[in-house]
Amino acid sequence: MNKRTCTALASSLVATLALGAAGCSGDTYSTDGRSRGKNPVLANQGAVIGGTPVKGGTLTVLSNQDFTHLDPARNWVMGDMDFGTRLLYRTLVTYRAEPGAAGGRLAPDLAEDLGISSNGARTWTFRLKKGLKYEDGSPITAHDIKYNVERSFSPDLPGGPDYAARYLAGAEGYQGPAQGKHLDSVKVPDDHTITFELRKPFAEFPSATVLPTFAPVPKARDNGPRYDNRPFSSGPYRIETYARDKQLVLVRNPHWDPESDTVRKAYPDRIVVTMGLKGNQIDDRLIASSGADASAVPWGKLRPESIAKVLTETDVRKRLLAESTNCTEMLQMHTGRAPFDQVKVRQAVQFALDREAVLTASGGPAVGDPATALMPGSLFGGKQPDTLKIPLTGDVARAKQRLKEAGHPDGFTTAITVSAGDKGVGEAIQQSLGRAGIKVTIETVDPSAFYDSIGDTGNRTDLVYTGWCPDYPSGSTFLPFVFDGRYIKEKGNSGNHSLFRDRATMNRMDEIAAMTDARQAAKAWQDLDGRILAKAPTAPAVIERMPLLLGTNIAGAFGHTSFGGQIDYATVGLKDPSGSGR
Amino acid sequence: MIRYTLRRLGAVLGVLTAVAAVTFTIFYVLPSDPAAAACGKACSAERLAAIRAHMGLDQPLWRQFWDFVSGIFTGRTVGSGQYALHCRFPCLGYSYENSEAVWDLLTDRLPVSASLAVGAAVLWLTLGLSAGTVAALRRGTLTDRVLMVGAVGAASLPVYFTAMMLIYGVVRVAGLLPYPQYVPFGDDPGRWASNLLLPWLALAVLYAAMYSRQSRSSMIETMAEPYIRTARAKGLPRRTVVVKHGLRAGMTPVLTLFGMDLGGLLAGAVITESIFGLPGVGRLFYGALSAGDQPVILGVTLLAAAFIVVANLAVDLLYAVVDPRVRL
Repeated sequence: MNKRTCTALASSLVATLALGAAGCSGDTYSTDGRSRGKNPVLANQGAVIGGTPVKGGTLTVLSNQDFTHLDPARNWVMGDMDFGTRLLYRTLVTYRAEPGAAGGRLAPDLAEDLGISSNGARTWTFRLKKGLKYEDGSPITAHDIKYNVERSFSPDLPGGPDYAARYLAGAEGYQGPAQGKHLDSVKVPDDHTITFELRKPFAEFPSATVLPTFAPVPKARDNGPRYDNRPFSSGPYRIETYARDKQLVLVRNPHWDPESDTVRKAYPDRIVVTMGLKGNQIDDRLIASSGADASAVPWGKLRPESIAKVLTETDVRKRLLAESTNCTEMLQMHTGRAPFDQVKVRQAVQFALDREAVLTASGGPAVGDPATALMPGSLFGGKQPDTLKIPLTGDVARAKQRLKEAGHPDGFTTAITVSAGDKGVGEAIQQSLGRAGIKVTIETVDPSAFYDSIGDTGNRTDLVYTGWCPDYPSGSTFLPFVFDGRYIKEKGNSGNHSLFRDRATMNRMDEIAAMTDARQAAKAWQDLDGRILAKAPTAPAVIERMPLLLGTNIAGAFGHTSFGGQIDYATVGLKDPSGSGR
Repeated sequence: MIRYTLRRLGAVLGVLTAVAAVTFTIFYVLPSDPAAAACGKACSAERLAAIRAHMGLDQPLWRQFWDFVSGIFTGRTVGSGQYALHCRFPCLGYSYENSEAVWDLLTDRLPVSASLAVGAAVLWLTLGLSAGTVAALRRGTLTDRVLMVGAVGAASLPVYFTAMMLIYGVVRVAGLLPYPQYVPFGDDPGRWASNLLLPWLALAVLYAAMYSRQSRSSMIETMAEPYIRTARAKGLPRRTVVVKHGLRAGMTPVLTLFGMDLGGLLAGAVITESIFGLPGVGRLFYGALSAGDQPVILGVTLLAAAFIVVANLAVDLLYAVVDPRVRL
């Protein structure tokens, strides 16, 4: 997943109009780069807060924004996918509701199992559970899943995951089910069987079927763009009211059968999302946690300036989640342009970069970790290996050495583009590269124009600072998006911002993609990660965390590793439903 | 009078058309692409082209503008094929960001902004006019000085500062009121008012300060007029002189100001709504700006222009009622 979604979240948080960005200086304790194990934020790592919830009550979600899309054909933002697939619609397969790395494992959802492949992983068949129903009691059929896959191709319904377009056979030029056109590569032999024919082998196809594209939408309920405001429920809750950017109220779907669902617990009776609140007010309300706010959870990150207030109070600190977002932020270099066409120059940048300083500028060590490899920890079974083997504050002597070898003993001048919210990060990069003689000028771009400007490969700066998040825990959703030269576009380029075109890397990616053994493939991606890093198209910088402060009455809460650290809405509930106020 | 009114109405239409054309051109000439924003990441060229066609962005600019303007009067169909939507009169366009017609978005949020604007206006008029009048009548005394120094102080406080201080003091420290959360008047008038009290105050403090200064100078000027002396000499009670003769004439400049201010606020108080988390037109506008949602930006701009122009017209017509001299 593109950093777009992460940044959208961050920028709306930072956008406090006039008083605005005092942010990005929230670290209150020093780190020497070695004693990171003591980070108090990580006390709840891998734990479920508040014990097992009691059924009932109203869970309040305090949000600073509206959802981007809740229409399952269009939903491709981490937190929104969590909310949608855990509460409103079920998919063929879903993630287990477990903290830590176990959250990356799959569980059958609408399907009876994780799919059966044939034809060398080119054909995938799923059998649906019997007796599944929508919110009106009508049956969920395999036709409805095919229909939603098809409508995700419609130009009227943009924004959703493109895995179906990427893998389904005969999908080129398909524009959705309008005018009665259908995809022949999705077959529905009976109401409970669905078969996907792919254009190339894809061993991880079941992982892709956790995406909302593979949720059912009955044709009779499809009203195009307006479906976004009222998706029809196949999950444990249905929408009672939804006023965009104001309030969303969910109530129980009486036709959802808990017996058929091993993942969703559906503890609260009602879930009320209040939107458009100010970030600092949400933080204050949750720190105080009085009245109905005790039964509330936040939607967006705790603001950097609130972190000190949380960490200094033991009682408050206990309620803080800080799971990794699993998005790697990188300093990406234009490998097609001098002097960054030289490996030694790029390695010099890797050596010169002070990741501690970047981390401090991006919110402090409490809410992020320095990156030591390209793919985030979730793709290494939990923790990134230290492939870089460079001190976190950089190694200026070796950086200078590499520059000398590359014929730039006195350094050179270059420029970086950063999103307006990342100005401090730009300055940290400027200072750390300056130590090796690389003079960097900073160009700040408004968040709304950031991706357009760095996607213009002809006119952009040599350096850009942006990241990538895997869509599901597999190297195939990370490395090919960021380092496959065949996806580079002259304008509107995304992902591969180092414009890295390396024959050996691309051949290896094709080989791994063709592997039918998922375990073997995972190992191969991890190995390839190191090989790409040695060629230094980017300098990995930090991996941010998702700090979320819970109300005192919240139970069953943990940050889900596969949903960017957002609270798993499948299991969250209340300790005491009678205390939820409403 | 009728010809005058008609002429003024014609001017109003002209101003609105000009505003629409300028806003339209600015946002469509600027290098941003709503289709690319909707398409999201890893968007293929042919999909982008299909989305552009669906949004009508492949049409020439004049054609898009014509569709927009004619849509306001007749309504129009947005998109094509299976998911074509009918955007009914008065169609101000369709927000792909919110999946709703702009007109519906605006009318949905207008009650919030209107509640905020009208409530604040009542407060600031009461405070501002009374402070200004008192200061004018006691010109040069300690009361006058205290009031006017206070007004300068209050006028120099930016609204976000006042708002933050009110939230900090009243909500966070004293705990007298909950964090503001909009409750429709129809649901519960009491909670409507208590939730809006702080936003009203935040806005009213600023405006009351300006109004008190304006009404003070205006009153001083009026009270020096010969007809006031005449009224006094006739032996009219002081109260009648001040209210009926003085205030009525002294109000005209204040009224001009008021029309513009209220009109502008009706189309959204961006900062106040954002700080207090009120889902009004101002916050809609702010969200649209950061998301590059052009139809909404255009819609709010037009609404604001319409309110200001209409308020101005109303004020000009009211002049005649308030100040008999205008009729001469």
